[in-house]
Amino acid sequence: MHGVRLIPRNFVGRFIESRAGRIQDPVQRLRYLQSNLGSITGQPVLHAAKSRRIGKLAILGLALLFAGSLIPKYNASSSGKAPIAAQPMARVAVARDAAAVNAADAVPPDTIPNVWLVDQTRDFETYSNGLRIDDRYVTPHERRAFYAIFQRGAADASQPEWRSEPAGIVYHTTESDQARFTPDQNARLKRIGKAVIGVVQQNHSYHFLIDRFGQVFRIVPEADVANHAGYSVWADGKVLFVNLNSSFLGVAFETQTQRGDLPSANPAQVHAARILTEMLRAKYHIPQSNCVTHAQVSVNPDNMLVGYHTDWAGNFPFRDIGLSDNYAVPPASIYAFGFGYDPAFVHATGVRLWQGLALAEDEMKTRAAARGIPVSRYRAILQKQYKEVLAALKATASDKSS
Amino acid sequence: MRHNDKVNNSAVGLDVGTSRICLAQRVGEEFQYETQLNAFVTIPFSKMTESVLKKEKVPHTVSGPDIVVHGNESDRFADVLNIETRRTMDKGVLNPAEPESLGMLRKIVESLLDPVKDRQKLCFTVPAAPLGAEDNLTYHEATLRRIVTDLGYEVKSINEGLAVIYSELENSNYTGIGISCGGGLCNVCVAYLSVPVFSFSIPKAGDYIDTSASAVTGERANRVRIVKEDSFHFNGFFADKLQQVLGVYYDEMIQSLVQGMKQAFANSRNLPKSNRPLPIVLSGGTALPVGFRERFEKALAETDLPIAVNDIRVAEDPLHASAKGALVAALADA
Repeated sequence: MHGVRLIPRNFVGRFIESRAGRIQDPVQRLRYLQSNLGSITGQPVLHAAKSRRIGKLAILGLALLFAGSLIPKYNASSSGKAPIAAQPMARVAVARDAAAVNAADAVPPDTIPNVWLVDQTRDFETYSNGLRIDDRYVTPHERRAFYAIFQRGAADASQPEWRSEPAGIVYHTTESDQARFTPDQNARLKRIGKAVIGVVQQNHSYHFLIDRFGQVFRIVPEADVANHAGYSVWADGKVLFVNLNSSFLGVAFETQTQRGDLPSANPAQVHAARILTEMLRAKYHIPQSNCVTHAQVSVNPDNMLVGYHTDWAGNFPFRDIGLSDNYAVPPASIYAFGFGYDPAFVHATGVRLWQGLALAEDEMKTRAAARGIPVSRYRAILQKQYKEVLAALKATASDKSS
Repeated sequence: MRHNDKVNNSAVGLDVGTSRICLAQRVGEEFQYETQLNAFVTIPFSKMTESVLKKEKVPHTVSGPDIVVHGNESDRFADVLNIETRRTMDKGVLNPAEPESLGMLRKIVESLLDPVKDRQKLCFTVPAAPLGAEDNLTYHEATLRRIVTDLGYEVKSINEGLAVIYSELENSNYTGIGISCGGGLCNVCVAYLSVPVFSFSIPKAGDYIDTSASAVTGERANRVRIVKEDSFHFNGFFADKLQQVLGVYYDEMIQSLVQGMKQAFANSRNLPKSNRPLPIVLSGGTALPVGFRERFEKALAETDLPIAVNDIRVAEDPLHASAKGALVAALADA
């Protein structure tokens, strides 16, 4: 370790510090400190002086300088600037143009399932379709308040509309360790499952978790917000949602994403997801078009690319879960806000999602042509709109916190 | 730049990092930066290639049968050609395994610095000695000093962690802990009223994460670095394996850093017991991911550090903090 060659005595140090604190210019302040510290000992200050002997003298000097108070333990505060992504984000829905999504219009008639609560104890809920929810690990989080909807046509971020009910479901994968799914691995499977629940609880990651045996655990109550979707965009036939943490419910499969069209969930999990989805759709009147995967909605505002997260990017069993295949729906992030995508995302997705990406690009080109402007300029306009929406979101979150 | 602003020609700061070299200058009241990747690639020579590079103003030199592209453009070429970039430095000092290290480092520095005739002040960053090891920086520092002196500058060096303190801890009168998490090393410095009390480095930093993740995933280290810098953040679960692996090695690096701090403080038996907590500033490209500060703070909270800290924050401009600190030191000396 490098040492130092001089340290002022206590009262001198305080005096110098006090005087230095009044100097605004950082260079002048440093110059003042260095020149005065040097004058005390009659030696100039060295940067990173390398003498161990001098280092020992410095430490001894510092020991004299500081009062010999008790050693306070670590008491770091969180007063540093919190990154935007770490702040709880309000959610915005933006009314989308009527002609925005062709594929959504092609979805078969959407019938809300008829599922009701049969029995409820302190630890479990049972529903009429056979769903059993384990409530033993419920961890309340931030309450879902009203969230803003920005009318895209009006583009008036200062006059939002408000909603409060969950509008959709985002399906996730936990990307956690996977033991072999065989009887001899029962103990390990259970141990890992328990650990995953712990992590999900700690981070308030999802509302529901489906473990390897198809057991459904409620982690964050539906009335609360879960940290499951971060920066994200989705649109149904009527409105456009931005940042889905509070507007959509998060359902995670304890599994890892498989490339291409390999299955990522086992039959028990698929069955559990089907009956859980039926219950949630029945309870909150969620349309099929708002049941989507994390890969479909995830965006990265820093580079304006979609697919920041790629869980369920290519093989989500929409049909087996009783939903229409939303992979073919063009992502609103592209046609409404000008996001792009890179080869890495295409590589991570399956063929089904490519159709949606291509449709979204076509949609944007058509709109740019209709306005008589180049695609690049139109994309820039859309991206600007997205930034404005994000700014409005940030302001809303800030108002809430104050 | 405002109309009446002009570059302060009295001094410049140069942060010589393992992965990037950054020049800092003061323009009016503001600081301005220019950065070059501290790397290069070689491609086979052909007149057509050279012509295209000249036309596109890509910094390059012809070396026998090869064309050497250095600085920022080397990254793009490496990605296109699916090769690794070559590095002039490794773990904070000149790369002993790279025969072209000295020549290419000179080229990259010269692409940032114009020769001067009036002995302009220049302060460049040097790493601290690795924790628990002897100082082995003499050759590296002397080489850099020679390169910059040859350009006409009056040169001095500054410890990288101290540069972070000079850049960020003005409000505490340059008292606190500066940590620079770069490519080759994490540098730590503790200072009181601008005076370094002790400093050290640990060899686990960005490159360690890249190469480790590369070995596990099969991706090229350069590609891993690009993904890491573009999209990685801490959020609990990761959508793909690479992100997950990056998280694992990031955690390991943070643990090493915190344990290094603990060991360094423990080794300083006469460490003063301050009744004022010290602020900590994190900087460098490796400290950029969202959630890094929180993860570091958590690791620190789980460690019995014999000194109180009260404010852990990421530098206002993490990529340029060391260069800015070097400039502040040079200006103060001008």
